[in-house]
Amino acid sequence: MAAPSETGRAARWRWGLLDTLVVIYALVPVLWIASLSFKTPATIADGRFIPREWTLDNYRTIFDTSQFVRSLINSIGIALIATAIAVLLGMLAAYAVARLNFPGKGTLVGASLLIAMFPQVSLVSPLFEIERSIGLFDTWPGLILPYITFSLPLAIYTLSAFFRQVPWDLEKAAKMDGATQGQAFRRVIAPLAAPGVVTTAILVFIFCWNDFLFAISLTSTERSRTVPVALSFFTGDTQFEDPTGSISAAAVVITIPIILFVLFLQRRIVSGLTAGAVKG
Amino acid sequence: MTSRAEAPTRAVGRGQRAEPDARARASANVRGERRLAWLLCAPAVLVMLAVAAWPILYSIWLSLLRYDLRFPAEREFIGLSNYATVLTNPFWWSAFWITVLITVVSVAIEFVLGMGLAIIMHRTLVGRGVVRTAALIPYGIVTVVAAFSWRFAWTPGTGYLANLVTPGAAPLTERASALAIIILAEVWKTVPFMALLLMAGLALVPEDLLKAAAVDGATAWQRFVRVTLPIMKPAILVALLFRTLDAFRIFDNIFVLTAGAQETSSVSILTYNNLLRGLNLGIGSTMSVLIFITVAIIAFVFVKLFGTAAPGASEKEKR
Amino acid sequence: MARRGRWHRAMVAALAAAMLAAAAAACGSGGGDETPVLNLYYSPEENFQKVVDECNAEAGGRYRIEYQVLPRGADDQRTQMVRRLAAGDSSMDILGLDVTWTAEFASAGWVLEWTADNKAEAEEGTLAAPLESARWEGRLYAAPKNTNTQLLWYRTDLMDRPPATWDEMIEMSLQLKERGQPYEIITMGSQYEGLVVLYNTMVESIGGHILNEDGTKAVFDEGAVEAMALLQRFASAGVTNPSFTNAQEDDARLQFQAGTGAFQLNYPFVYPAMQADAPDLAENVRWARYPAAEPGQESPVTIGGFNLAVSAYSEHPEEAFDAALCLRSPEHQKFSAINDGVPPTIESVYADPEMDEAYPMKNEILESVRDGALRPQTPAYQNVSTVLSAVLHPPAAIQPEQTAEELRRLVQDALEAQGVLP
Repeated sequence: MAAPSETGRAARWRWGLLDTLVVIYALVPVLWIASLSFKTPATIADGRFIPREWTLDNYRTIFDTSQFVRSLINSIGIALIATAIAVLLGMLAAYAVARLNFPGKGTLVGASLLIAMFPQVSLVSPLFEIERSIGLFDTWPGLILPYITFSLPLAIYTLSAFFRQVPWDLEKAAKMDGATQGQAFRRVIAPLAAPGVVTTAILVFIFCWNDFLFAISLTSTERSRTVPVALSFFTGDTQFEDPTGSISAAAVVITIPIILFVLFLQRRIVSGLTAGAVKG
Repeated sequence: MTSRAEAPTRAVGRGQRAEPDARARASANVRGERRLAWLLCAPAVLVMLAVAAWPILYSIWLSLLRYDLRFPAEREFIGLSNYATVLTNPFWWSAFWITVLITVVSVAIEFVLGMGLAIIMHRTLVGRGVVRTAALIPYGIVTVVAAFSWRFAWTPGTGYLANLVTPGAAPLTERASALAIIILAEVWKTVPFMALLLMAGLALVPEDLLKAAAVDGATAWQRFVRVTLPIMKPAILVALLFRTLDAFRIFDNIFVLTAGAQETSSVSILTYNNLLRGLNLGIGSTMSVLIFITVAIIAFVFVKLFGTAAPGASEKEKR
Repeated sequence: MARRGRWHRAMVAALAAAMLAAAAAACGSGGGDETPVLNLYYSPEENFQKVVDECNAEAGGRYRIEYQVLPRGADDQRTQMVRRLAAGDSSMDILGLDVTWTAEFASAGWVLEWTADNKAEAEEGTLAAPLESARWEGRLYAAPKNTNTQLLWYRTDLMDRPPATWDEMIEMSLQLKERGQPYEIITMGSQYEGLVVLYNTMVESIGGHILNEDGTKAVFDEGAVEAMALLQRFASAGVTNPSFTNAQEDDARLQFQAGTGAFQLNYPFVYPAMQADAPDLAENVRWARYPAAEPGQESPVTIGGFNLAVSAYSEHPEEAFDAALCLRSPEHQKFSAINDGVPPTIESVYADPEMDEAYPMKNEILESVRDGALRPQTPAYQNVSTVLSAVLHPPAAIQPEQTAEELRRLVQDALEAQGVLP
């Protein structure tokens, strides 16, 4: 690891270079998708990275009907709610797993792993039948509940792994120094727990955002259809034509909330660093 | 601060006195702790059970039946017959080993790249926010769309990558190159997942330990291997475990890139073909259970390997 | 803990609110007016909503059709419908079935038989091959809405007349290759239904059989083996596009538009697309009937298309039959043909002069459909197709006798829903 003394210009250049490599690796394929979204149908298959003919038609088409916008709203709503609840429930359980001793702890962790491991393709049909019979088919809760269920294992596992590393004693130390329970928690524990919580939130959100299998099996109309499913409904100009242009445009558009979500949260991922080292 | 320095905070064990009062108090505390723990876990457990318990049990039950969705009346119980059918079938094993290959190779690459990316995201002095956000974007792109764009890119004529390798060649039509492309697509998409988990783990490595090690004359590599990695074990476990579990169930990339041709089918594609295309609930469920068992074995091996770093391990055994 | 408690309460409130909102939305859409609502589940067709609107107007209040769009891919459509039909879902009324699904849906009891007047109207003037695709065990289970067939598209600047047989086409292609001109025979060869269509066309052209008469036994007779040899010959002659084994319909279209091909075997959708995307190329492209396997006879081509069926669980079957007949009536078929590029199944529509502009090739299409071939009609068709496409891929690796043996075994298993699908 770089020792703190290497903050000179040479180090900055080195890191800058590495940064650029990372950005290239991450974004070149994304730029390819963006480039596909700007190409006209005539040139979409010309193989060039930079479009020869530019057009905004693909973007116009996807906003032509309410279908895409509606699915965006569904996706954002469902993913946010599912993430919030999953992270919350995960935090509660992870706290118990990480800090408390109780019979059945191992079983809990094992069973939740079991749920994460079972191939979901087999589970959609039974889930479909359950939801149909209780009227949750094609509704927001109908998707939110499975999303919470299948992201809880990861949430619990991740959060408990990080909670175990948090020095809970600091809370006691802070209280001895005169802080109230609330202050101690907020000032000392929360920043240390933040990296794990934020990481989990990002991963759960992206899982809900990108899921296709549950979404296509448990929705049927615009009421709850999410974006990945809406993409499979796009049509091309003629019967067998793949709507590559509009799908690429839609992909670009739906990546924006992800970018915003991550941008907003990424600072908090390591905010615990300085706080944790203070008392050492 | 590592937990090496902290004493267990549980009420029990803090000097057990011989007084019956104290013992009574202690067991009341234990009961209280248990109640609290169950209370905390209850919502999560309830949700998971309510949603997933029946479907999983039902699937396992289905694997013991001969059941074609088109002829529901002809359902019959046949015990482990389906398992025999699947486990003696060459299609299954071909898909199985391909899946193992893809999993091992892609997770290995992802771990290395993910660690490197985590270090960069964590340590970089320049443009931290930009790098972190940019690095996470691949994970946020809808898999199917990314797969389509890779397919376009690697098809000669329509894309820019095909011609980089050999002009005129169609890499997606040859088994080895198709597998490489599939692995590349997987890796590109999920390295951020690894990197995110590893970075959060990196963030909890205390600076002063590293400083102390540097003062003691350790090189950067030694500091990494001797100080950082051991402390990161829990995070590494979570990252590797979940990534492997997901990698074994790869579907979208293969489906879009090659449709499973040239024997690049994974076990998930096989299950999809049998369950949703063939409507053979018996065989399809059997495959699901087999996938599940394999994945469980992998998880078991991981947890054993990482031993005490697993979240479910007893507090006493903390490193 | 206090902080967490506050969060907890806020979250629970949010969840409750969300569920209430969803429940309200769910409740709000039901009830109300008396007109029976017929849910039509059909593939996405850009202008089909107008047809639906017209039929609603014609219905005069007896019913109201709501067009529920299905996903673009045929597999996804089938999965959606099958899942709900198997659960006895009564909210589906009119179903858009691909021509290969009739046997499956009919034998599973998921769709109603067409009888008496409805049957007569559905059969009147309809071309024989699409009509046959809507029948199972002699009974009619759907009304053909549109059909599709492949044609041979060739470059007039590279040859005087189109080839009539496969061997002739391969010959001409090799000659062009030697002369350094665009030579490729471009068609679909990916491991999917399109490959089965290709093989089936060859089998029918030679006069072979994949299954026996009643579809219970995998025969793969001499003709079928010969067709395998032809397929293998074609794939290994060095005349295909490098991405042939990974190409579906749209990929083939794009490959041909890129200019490396002399021939293309594909559906008529390529024509308007070519006019829009590559008008210069389009000037030198004409069409002809699909090449035959033997000289002297026209090739039967495998037809595609969609039929409209009525769900067995529909609560308004009488109205559904009515609505379906309206949706596929001659004028509406003409409308869809001109605006959505889907060829009609009723013969008289082809004679209509309004068809000329969008379908300069309408005569070839009509003749191809008249001579059209069907894929094996069996309830286990999906299984058969999965096995066929997996074993026949890549086509260049076929060894006719061995592959036939393997197929007889595997397809027989597939017919009986035994064993594992690849």
